[in-house]
Amino acid sequence: MSNRHQYAFFLGCIAPNRYPGIEAAAIKTSANVGIDLLPLKGASCCPAPGAFGSIDLNVWYAMAARNVVLAEQMKTDITLICNGCYKSIWEVNHKLKHNDELRDGVNEVLKEIDMEFKGTVDVWHLAELYYDPKIVGIKKLADSVTRPLTGAKIAVHYGCHLMKPAKERHFGDTENPMWIEELVAALGAEPVQYRNKMQCCGAGGGVRGYDIAHALDITNEKMINLQEVGADALTEVCPFCQLQYDRGQIEIEEKFGITWGLPILHYNELLGLAQGMSPDELALDLHAVSVEPFLKKIL
Amino acid sequence: MAVKKDYKDQKLAERLRDRKYYIPDSNPEFIKDVEKIGRTAAHMCYQCGTCTGSCPSAPRSSYRIRLFMRKAILGLEEEALTDPDLWLCTTCYSCTDRCPRDLAPTDAIMAMRNLAFKRDIVPRNFLKTAQLIYQSGHGVPNNAANRVAREKLGLEAEPETTHKYPEYLPGIRKIMDHYRLKENADRILAEGE
Repeated sequence: MSNRHQYAFFLGCIAPNRYPGIEAAAIKTSANVGIDLLPLKGASCCPAPGAFGSIDLNVWYAMAARNVVLAEQMKTDITLICNGCYKSIWEVNHKLKHNDELRDGVNEVLKEIDMEFKGTVDVWHLAELYYDPKIVGIKKLADSVTRPLTGAKIAVHYGCHLMKPAKERHFGDTENPMWIEELVAALGAEPVQYRNKMQCCGAGGGVRGYDIAHALDITNEKMINLQEVGADALTEVCPFCQLQYDRGQIEIEEKFGITWGLPILHYNELLGLAQGMSPDELALDLHAVSVEPFLKKIL
Repeated sequence: MAVKKDYKDQKLAERLRDRKYYIPDSNPEFIKDVEKIGRTAAHMCYQCGTCTGSCPSAPRSSYRIRLFMRKAILGLEEEALTDPDLWLCTTCYSCTDRCPRDLAPTDAIMAMRNLAFKRDIVPRNFLKTAQLIYQSGHGVPNNAANRVAREKLGLEAEPETTHKYPEYLPGIRKIMDHYRLKENADRILAEGE
């Protein structure tokens, strides 16, 4: 058991409350590669960096810090499955660790609820733990595959808040990264490149709620670029991007009269399928756009 | 001793003086506020336009992040904070990664949004998200259909968050109340009815 890794699992909102299959898949697939996800009791919304950050950054710092302190009390690093959560939890943890003035301000507020940010844990996206050879690595990930996704052409959407802004993060190049393609190739699928891969899904910064047609127009551009290369599915590591691409396609149909029908799968759903989980075990029926065409290709 | 710099040719000096860019309603404190909240040296912007060229919102709207940077530097607080385009930034950080001056235009926009909120200028959806988190701890809360789906997956109906442990909600509310966020959100939403 010594080579198993334990993390406090920060759920966020959209995975547990809209796509619970992602949560179920994350727990099972991670256990298969030596990562145990422990419940982070009493966690809240990260809180949404677009909504809260835009209104008052100080509230955003304090609310995110409260979530980090819950993990500090467990003496366990945090892992999570959403880029938006990553921005809040990773970035606030990082900023408070490196800025005394900011930390003191937050701790003054946390004192009111008998909490203190100490800066004793780190925060990781589950996808980067899969990629890290010290934790999982491509080889171990590939070894966990029992049903290779052979013949499937899969495009990757990296999203924005995992890797950007690059100078504050540790992922390197944000113009044409390839590490998630490596994670996709490990499952036996063929990763495909497409135009303007790093473009935003359109939902962030509160824009989805503020001007849905504007957000969907950005989403639609991605759909055009994906169709050009004949992708069978789009994978991402952010349930909010997933919501925008999945439900967004229905909204694009209603608003613009354009039908795409492109299956959208979180990387953990993809990994679940490759490890032999059934579509029912992943609640793929909750997707707005049918995943059937993709399943026919791989099952 | 202060030396007034001018052309010796009086006629030329007078003509040029009239052309000096002068804005009566400029607030020189505005750029300082933006820099303090956004934690970026926004006054260093030399208007190259790489930000607007990288922006996914620019091709489909009149939102120009370069323009907001300029308005911040010129102190055009009123213009910047009342422009509805301020809320079209998806915070994708492409401009921030590509800025040749290593500024963070995205964070300057976030700072301007914070300053707008202080004047009660904020789209309703932002406030509604804040209200939802105050009520449930989640910006996107659980619902009946999802509880059924969760149980079918072998998960508990409520996730291991404030949903399953509502005893954590008072702490969250205390933080939000400290900044009077719920109170302000309620008030601004009610005034807009």
